[in-house]
Amino acid sequence: MRKVISFILIVIIAVGAFSSLREIPFGATKSRVREYYLDNGIKQTGATNIVTSVVVNYRGFDTLGEVTVLFLASIGLSAVLYRKKEERRKKRRESSLILYTGCRFLFPLILLFGSYIFIHGHLTPGGGFQGGAIIASGFLLTMLGCWGWEGINRNRFKITESLSGLAFVVVGLLGLLYGGYFLFNYLPKGIPNQLFSAGIIPLVYIAIGFKVGSEIAGIINDMVRSG
Amino acid sequence: MEFIENYLYYIASFGLILIGLYIMLVKDNLIKIIIGLSIIDTGVNILIISMGYLKKGTAPIFSRESLLPSRMVDPVPQALVLTAIVIGVAILALALTLAIVLYRHYGTLNVRKIRDLKW
Amino acid sequence: MVNPVLLIIIPLTGAFAIPLFGFISKYISKYISLISTLVMAVIVGSLIPKVINNPIIVMIGGFKPPFGINLVVSPLSLFFVGVISLLGFLVSIYAIKYIDDGDIDKYHLLFLLFITGATGVVLTGDIFNLFVFFEILCISSYALVAYNRDKDGVEAGIKYLIQGSVGSAFILIGIALLYGLCGSLNMADIASQIHSVNSPLLSLSLFLFLTGFGIEAAIFPLNGWLPDAHSSAPSTISAVLSGFAIEIGLYAVLRIVCTVFGATDILHFLAGLGIFTLLIGEISAFKQDDIKRLLAYSSIGQIGLILFAFSLGSPEGVAGGLFHILSHALSKGLLFLAAGYMIYKAGSREIGKMKGLGTRMPVTSFCFLIGVFSLVGLPPFIGFPGKFIIIKSALSTNQGYFFVLVGAALLGTVIEISYFFKLLQNIFSKTGEDKVDEAPLSALIPIIIMALIILAVGVYPEIVSRFLHLASANFMDRMGYINNILGAL
Repeated sequence: MRKVISFILIVIIAVGAFSSLREIPFGATKSRVREYYLDNGIKQTGATNIVTSVVVNYRGFDTLGEVTVLFLASIGLSAVLYRKKEERRKKRRESSLILYTGCRFLFPLILLFGSYIFIHGHLTPGGGFQGGAIIASGFLLTMLGCWGWEGINRNRFKITESLSGLAFVVVGLLGLLYGGYFLFNYLPKGIPNQLFSAGIIPLVYIAIGFKVGSEIAGIINDMVRSG
Repeated sequence: MEFIENYLYYIASFGLILIGLYIMLVKDNLIKIIIGLSIIDTGVNILIISMGYLKKGTAPIFSRESLLPSRMVDPVPQALVLTAIVIGVAILALALTLAIVLYRHYGTLNVRKIRDLKW
Repeated sequence: MVNPVLLIIIPLTGAFAIPLFGFISKYISKYISLISTLVMAVIVGSLIPKVINNPIIVMIGGFKPPFGINLVVSPLSLFFVGVISLLGFLVSIYAIKYIDDGDIDKYHLLFLLFITGATGVVLTGDIFNLFVFFEILCISSYALVAYNRDKDGVEAGIKYLIQGSVGSAFILIGIALLYGLCGSLNMADIASQIHSVNSPLLSLSLFLFLTGFGIEAAIFPLNGWLPDAHSSAPSTISAVLSGFAIEIGLYAVLRIVCTVFGATDILHFLAGLGIFTLLIGEISAFKQDDIKRLLAYSSIGQIGLILFAFSLGSPEGVAGGLFHILSHALSKGLLFLAAGYMIYKAGSREIGKMKGLGTRMPVTSFCFLIGVFSLVGLPPFIGFPGKFIIIKSALSTNQGYFFVLVGAALLGTVIEISYFFKLLQNIFSKTGEDKVDEAPLSALIPIIIMALIILAVGVYPEIVSRFLHLASANFMDRMGYINNILGAL
């Protein structure tokens, strides 16, 4: 009975939505802000990747909020999974030599690749969040493949998270001091297409990369250890 | 079927949202409901991205000096989707954690049976 | 002049710094949240004289409005931030002794981020930024409701999470449609273009926003999560959830409906919905045995009344709604905080087990009495001017529809008086046990302060009413909002 009612409801919503979606033509945009960002992006921010300059500079406040949301998830998770005494996990059998060596070999390469993505965020597609997710997948690989290794100390993740978050806020506050606006781009913009260009954008993305990587790795670590 | 060809992205994204909504309304297992939530999030992200597309446009990156800004797609929806994906991941992580703790207390993941708080 | 961005940055920095201090000692986090909320309250006090003539507009990153995010500090926003920081400060004092189980610094971290999210929602002037801060508010409340990790809390938490995240998905679809139609994400910019776009997608977008924000605002069909969540959370969290979280959801609804869309024709529908919510809340509270569930249903009722006040469409009505938000935050906060220790001493949440608490906990019960009288709307307390202004402005619209709704509101108040009377009768009945077993000092201080404020503002409502009339005039002035922001170009 519930299935029938839900199905009818969904069909009604579908008909209503599809019949009115003709209004927005696909492939032609009506955006006023698009030309401004594309024309003035390089001059005002120095980054050749316009999406990065929108994310970090023009809408940097949203990025601060997003970093906070991920931090919230990690903290809320460990608060809800808290147990008074760390219960001993059952001793699993150790993984085979090939698996162990393979994972140990791949792990630094994955970290290197992730770091490349967030350091070059202002030049190539990518950025802090994508690089951080790749770093966390490196940690996931070791947790899945290298049983017998105790894993990274949880405290180190916590310190990295807090310090990188504070680094982002401090960069913004320095902008407030130097330029009068929070998150003002006060470092020299340099020549476009070079690694050391675009003002505060590489700094912010490096902080975000570390933060996201350690947070997601911490989330996975908590979930694996809790059950 | 020019209608479908032109509006394929809109149809696909709304289709995903409605499938996700149906799963959340009908299924009994908590993990399936959470998967339905994740499908809704995916559909919404595709909808946002497709609002910024320009026909035969290219990525908004000036990797060579000679690229024309007028041929590039809109960068703003891509920034919005970055944020939306991260928020979706955070909600998913919290939901799965609550499912873990709920399983510890009740021993089952069937939402019909987890009804201790009465009217 | 202090830059208003600090209102958001200070609790955020405190939250990021708590894990570092946690390595020194777990108890420092309590004082960090105390200090942050106190500093926020001081900054709000210093900004009040500056916004009386013109709202302050802060541009983040130095980019002008449609191309960058801007914060709008108007008297209405300062009113909300004042309520948030005051209630947050008092609840943090209470939490010094009350929260002693689980990971304490994580509680204070989540609490500071909750305050950040709430402040961000009222200060921002950009739709997507509103969504991001609203998500911070919601996710921290999902985690805080489940903080005690007991059966009730986790079940309430997951129900709240599932419903809340469907709401967030709807808000995102609404934002996508608005961006596709109008091409910008700034509230003033969209408001200035919206009359030139006519398409059925606008009404779809409005409906999605109403549903999405309405889940957090607990408007009628969307409030299934509220009784469970507010009753199973720790008492400090119930106090702030009922105190300002649902009101901020309502603020978001009204900001979208009145300022961005300018849709004054649905206000009649919203008024009816508000009164219906009021009746449902009060009638359901009547049958409750559990004290926190009773207070939670009463919150649903009061939100219905506030929605009715705002949808009258006149500055007088909006001022009455704001007054009622202040009185509800103080009274309901007081009731939940007092109930926290009453439940602890009585050992259970059932009303029947609370007999004789009037003699065992005299100060707490007396303040509880003050809270009840003020919530119901009796004269020397703060609830009275609020309800009086609402009823007076409803009657002065001279439309029969509103007269009927006012009658229903009065009926709701009568039901409210009757179930609170039953509750008070239980608490103040004599059983002969004379041992005084009062709540600790850290819990009594905020309760007494709240009772004093309720008495003070109730006797002299002029302290706040001038500011509230200014705030409501500012809120109703849509063209002034648009010109202030876009004219800064």
